Amino acid sequence: MSIFGNKDEKENKSEERFNFLLDQQHEINQSTLAKDIQIHGSIEAKDYINFDGSINGTIKAKTVNLGTASYMKGTVSADHVTIEGEVDGDIQGKDVYIESSAKIKGTIRYSNIDIQDGSIINADLTYY
Amino acid sequence: MSEAENETQEIVNHDLNSNDSKTIVIGSGVRMEGKIDGAMNSDISGTFNGKIKSDSINISPSGVLVGDIIGSEVNVSGKVEGTISSDEQLNISSSADVKGTIEYTSLKASYGAKIQGKVSHKGIVHSIKSVEDELPNMIDENKI
Repeated sequence: MSIFGNKDEKENKSEERFNFLLDQQHEINQSTLAKDIQIHGSIEAKDYINFDGSINGTIKAKTVNLGTASYMKGTVSADHVTIEGEVDGDIQGKDVYIESSAKIKGTIRYSNIDIQDGSIINADLTYY
Repeated sequence: MSEAENETQEIVNHDLNSNDSKTIVIGSGVRMEGKIDGAMNSDISGTFNGKIKSDSINISPSGVLVGDIIGSEVNVSGKVEGTISSDEQLNISSSADVKGTIEYTSLKASYGAKIQGKVSHKGIVHSIKSVEDELPNMIDENKI
């Protein structure tokens, strides 16, 4: 995610657009939002979102990966959710994977869950 | 002897042979009610209704526990309804069905495990960043 490291903002944006166009050519759309992105609002995608920024809002997709640098306050809902960062809010997914670096506060609704050693969870869990 | 009794006998023999006296085994098919305290190892394959305080606690796939579990190393493969408190390692396997309150220090839950209820981490809770503190500033900066 350090590809944005030494570039100015304009370059960052154009590169992001370029990556997005590249991704569109594949059958599965994959969007990556890097560390330095902050969002107030919602993100929605049909396929895959790889999010490493900060968001106050909602993320919805088929597969969502919240990376180690990610911070989210709000709701994430997807078929497959992987949490490596911090979440303060609601997580909903058929498959929820909580990695060792995850810090979670809120609620988790799931059909299948996998929790790794080291994760810090203070949440209400329900399965459906 | 029934199969369940044989199994219990085997476990008891095994533990006696290993010279571990502070062990309690509730074999599958056995129902028990009450309070267990001071045990090093507790192995529940039957049904236990009550409170267990033990260093190491193992609820096997056939085990059912209704009540409270307090231990350091806790392995759950069966059914638990109540509270689980673990000071070291809590393992919840894919066959487990846990309803209630969990307080843990280190938790590993395998894919497929059913956990319903309140899960909380013991000890110092590393403060989760407050987005209210961070995000408004970032947004203001963007406006400028």
